Amino acid sequence: MEERAFKLSILCCNYTNLSEREDFFEVPVSLEIKRYPCSGKIEITDMLRALREGAKGVMVAGCMPGTCHNGRGSERAEKRVLGARKILEEIGLEPERISMFFVNRLDGEDFINKVKAFYREILNFELKGRERK
Amino acid sequence: MIIAERRPIPEILRNIEDYQKILVLGCRGCVAICSAGGDREVSIVAEAIRLARTLQGKPIEVLEDTFIRQCDPEYLEPLKDYQGKVEAVVSLACGVGVNLIADLYPEIRVYPGVDTSFYGANLSLGEWVEKCRGCGDCIIDRTAGLCPIARCAKNLLNGPCGGSQGGRCEVRKDMPCIWHEIVERLKARGELERLLEIWEPKDWRSAGGDGLRVRVREDLRLNGGK
Amino acid sequence: MEIKSHLEELLSSGKFVVTAEIGPPRNADPEVIKKKAKILKGYVDAVNITDCQTAVVRVSSMASAVLVMSEGLEPVMQMTCRDRNRIGIQADLLGASALGIKNLLCLTGDHPKFGNHPQAKPVFDLDSIQLIKLVRGLKEGRFENGEEIKGRRPYFFIGAAENPFAEPFDFRPLRLAKKVKAGARFIQTQIIYNVEKFRKFMERCRELGLLDKVYILAGITPPKSLGMAKYMKYNVPGLEVPDEIIKRLEDAKDKKEEGIQIAVDIIQQVKEIPGVCGVHIMAIEWEEAVPEIVKRAGLYPREEAPSFMPPFVVEKVVEKVVEKPVEVIVEKIIEKPVEVIVEKVIEKEVPLEGEMAEEKIFTLIEILSDLKASLKSLKAGMESLEEGIARLEEEFLRKKEVRPIRKEVIKRPEERPVEREAFIEEKPKIEERVEEVVVKPEAKEVKPEVKPEVKPEIKPEVKPEVKPEVKKEEEPKEIKPREEEKLEVKPVVEKPEAKEIVEEKTKVEVKPEVKLETKPEPEVKVEAIKIGGLKGIYRPLSERAKNLPQDLYMEKATGEIKEVVIGNGDRAIKVGGVSTLNFHFFEGEMKNGVKFAFEILDIKPEDWPESLSKYYRDVFHDPALWAKKCVEEYGAEAICLYLVGTDPNFLNLPPQHAKKVAEAVVKAVDVPIIVWGSGNAEKDVEVLREVADIVGERGAVIGPIVEANHRTLAAVAMGYNTPVIASSPIDVNLAKQLNILLENMGLPLDKILMDPSIGALGYGLEYTYSVMERIRLAALFAQDTKLQVPFICSIGREVWKTKEAGLPTDELMGEAESRGILMEALTGIALALAGGDLLIMRHPKSIELCKELFRGLSMS
Repeated sequence: MEERAFKLSILCCNYTNLSEREDFFEVPVSLEIKRYPCSGKIEITDMLRALREGAKGVMVAGCMPGTCHNGRGSERAEKRVLGARKILEEIGLEPERISMFFVNRLDGEDFINKVKAFYREILNFELKGRERK
Repeated sequence: MIIAERRPIPEILRNIEDYQKILVLGCRGCVAICSAGGDREVSIVAEAIRLARTLQGKPIEVLEDTFIRQCDPEYLEPLKDYQGKVEAVVSLACGVGVNLIADLYPEIRVYPGVDTSFYGANLSLGEWVEKCRGCGDCIIDRTAGLCPIARCAKNLLNGPCGGSQGGRCEVRKDMPCIWHEIVERLKARGELERLLEIWEPKDWRSAGGDGLRVRVREDLRLNGGK
Repeated sequence: MEIKSHLEELLSSGKFVVTAEIGPPRNADPEVIKKKAKILKGYVDAVNITDCQTAVVRVSSMASAVLVMSEGLEPVMQMTCRDRNRIGIQADLLGASALGIKNLLCLTGDHPKFGNHPQAKPVFDLDSIQLIKLVRGLKEGRFENGEEIKGRRPYFFIGAAENPFAEPFDFRPLRLAKKVKAGARFIQTQIIYNVEKFRKFMERCRELGLLDKVYILAGITPPKSLGMAKYMKYNVPGLEVPDEIIKRLEDAKDKKEEGIQIAVDIIQQVKEIPGVCGVHIMAIEWEEAVPEIVKRAGLYPREEAPSFMPPFVVEKVVEKVVEKPVEVIVEKIIEKPVEVIVEKVIEKEVPLEGEMAEEKIFTLIEILSDLKASLKSLKAGMESLEEGIARLEEEFLRKKEVRPIRKEVIKRPEERPVEREAFIEEKPKIEERVEEVVVKPEAKEVKPEVKPEVKPEIKPEVKPEVKPEVKKEEEPKEIKPREEEKLEVKPVVEKPEAKEIVEEKTKVEVKPEVKLETKPEPEVKVEAIKIGGLKGIYRPLSERAKNLPQDLYMEKATGEIKEVVIGNGDRAIKVGGVSTLNFHFFEGEMKNGVKFAFEILDIKPEDWPESLSKYYRDVFHDPALWAKKCVEEYGAEAICLYLVGTDPNFLNLPPQHAKKVAEAVVKAVDVPIIVWGSGNAEKDVEVLREVADIVGERGAVIGPIVEANHRTLAAVAMGYNTPVIASSPIDVNLAKQLNILLENMGLPLDKILMDPSIGALGYGLEYTYSVMERIRLAALFAQDTKLQVPFICSIGREVWKTKEAGLPTDELMGEAESRGILMEALTGIALALAGGDLLIMRHPKSIELCKELFRGLSMS
């Protein structure tokens, strides 16, 4: 079960994520949740640093386009995720390790589902990686 | 301004593979405006380098700094403080800056972090288009301000060529045929006869055919330098 | 003179010519070219050899031309500007002419991007028109730089290409005119399928008078297949293929046959157009079709071309292929060129001089005119310099005039003394009031607000302390600005009332009243100050506003703030229950008014300002006694127990300590209790869980709850059915969000008190005010049900921790105690106006001050 126990980093805005660590008991990973005043404030550097500090995947969560408290912050976050993915491609990592998720505001369940989906995707990468070895 | 684009990370990594401590140096001039080498890009490149090297198992210490400009010896002076403290410098300035660093600080191993391309306009965030070739002999007074040396794929002076179709250039279908535009514009202004005169061949020396270009204004040079 | 090329001969004698095109091979085999030339010989008058067409590397045009000549066919060499600069071009042209090539087609050339070497650097030193001009210059004995060609000049029949269908369509004939002007003598057009459009083009050329100056050959290509026709239609820029052509090919059984027929048809048509002097058949890689086309178009046979061979190649080639002709031809060559060339040279010498002389004169004229032009521009430069100097002088002179404007600016500060006078004027008024107050205290004796809770025992301790301070306050009064002076009247009032302790708490009234009424009518102010009440005669709103229609100032709310019950039993108090903005009694009601709670700590405070601590110093050591004093002596109707000692960053006392203190306090008093944790989310969970056990049954309020710990604490509160304090960091949305979260947990809205994290006067009061106001407006007028919850404001803590509250008395800052009291009272009043329903304060006097004001405001 060691393979399944890796770290995921979640960068999100105040409005997307209400959940606490205890809600993710089905997901056997260590989660590092960082909240920002708006997802548009999340920099590419933050996403890359999360990977450097050991996360296997970085989930960037923002409000659905059109519902962002600050206008288009989540759209900006999406573009930044693209920029970060470009760098991952150049380095040789799977670009999907950093992914943008649009979440319904203040909807805890939606958020948790998306986290689980993301976890599964990263798990795939991890298992494939170990196979190759 | 000068438009540049970040070099692929693997190439930068190759340049610095033997080093354990480097400086990523940005510039707040042109490269900052075209989002290739300003403060933010410095931190992104630095973080990307750190990430890649961590994954390789060869961690590296990356310092970050940004100067106002790197095309001025005065603004490069703070580099002295880094001499001896870092093994190499990856400069995100345009080629001018990197060259100047190489000239003034021969002991510093400086590597370019961006590919410098063209003189362009910032049409909107994320979109830059070439407008001038720096040929040193401006002719756009006769072409309604639109430059065929920069914007005609064949540098025609007696254009348009036979490949101009639908107002588009046959070589670059995503670009308008600049001669088509020039003809239309001069026609609208009633100045089309100008184009009936044969334009003499261009003197390409000022465009770099003569080698390195230098410009000196004696009326500005104070005796003994700055 | 030079012998004209065969092509030129035919054209100048008015004959209809036929030319074709050969594409050289992509290898070094000479036979390929020769074979193609053989096919065409006799059917065409001359043949073009392309120059790396579409930028694909092939045998060069010049080399191919020579090979073509070896087959007895006249070549038309093509030269592009893509691959050579003017030096290379001129060199090649000299060489071509030396080799006997006479026809030259000048082109710009296809961009390398289209070819098989897209990485190559495109040269384009010249464009086609400049090239034409250059060639004409060479013909006339001039290199491109103007230098004279000494010796035999190259001779060329210069041609150019034109695309009648390119855009801008109207400009094409004009460009053609340019080429003619540059020196082009014949034109080969791009492939024509749309005869009508071509006709228009020719018409336009005729209008421009070009048809007399240039021979135009129409470009024809037989479509080899339907696919080729479609490709040309859709993929080749500058080609127009009408749909009928496509249709004809589609319907035809033998496409090739149809293709040839199409070509023939077009030839027939263009022949009729005036100005068309021939056709140029481009059947690349299908050269076999050309003879057929020529025959069918009735253009066969062609005139015999005079034999011609390139000077040196022929000897070798001829030797190999044909034996007989060797002798003959060699002789001819030896003879003619020698003779002819010599003759030519001699002949040319004469005209050379003449032409050169003319040219010299022309050059001289040019140079002179250039010099004149330069002189003119020099003059112009001098003039503009002079102008510039003159302007500078004017500006410098003018600048002196600018200064007086600055003097005008200085006038403004003079206005200030006027304002100061106003200040000064008002001061004496205040002083008057002071005197009156001093006089009146005697009448004070009857105090409507004597509170029975006052215990005479404790009084003597406090009194003597109060009085001397009060006396001191009198003096500095006059120096301080208005407001402070007004307020200071209060202690003066109290002084003579040394009788009961009641004074201490109460009768700080006068000032607030003065403040309010001063604003509208500063001069009328000096009226009798009632002791124990607000000064002046109150005029109800209905009277004041009787001339205004009610709907002008009335705006009834659509929502109502919930009522929260704190505590239980007969000491329980209700908070909230307002249906209007606070104190707008003309619009709605405040069922419970503004409530106050006294704040006590769970530990002995170390750094409270003297002006505050002196009221409680005797009970600091024991929270229970402290609570008792507040209730019994100062009339507290609720106690707020602030568990500061449990703060991990402070003393980090364990939950057990908090529990003990809570127990003690609960036993000591029976008023409602509010328990306020340290503010550290994690610690508070532990502590409040323990404390709730004790205070729960008393209906005490617990908090603060923040988003991070809301689940657990909400559960605790629901377990004991206590109200909670929901704390958010001065943000409307976060406050609402927290309320929603708590409701989701199951906590009803009428068990929630909102703490907006207030800021004291000078430390964020305005911001807090605006946030609270917005929340209240949303709750009352925007039907925002989640915000219809009363406010709880922890004022005492915020105010008394500020630097200013603790500074000692001095000339600059004034009297310490009043300062502190006023800061707390002002904060409390401002927040109450913003919507505060339950205020937690510390200083008994500030609470009294607030209460008195609210009483006044409550009169409707």
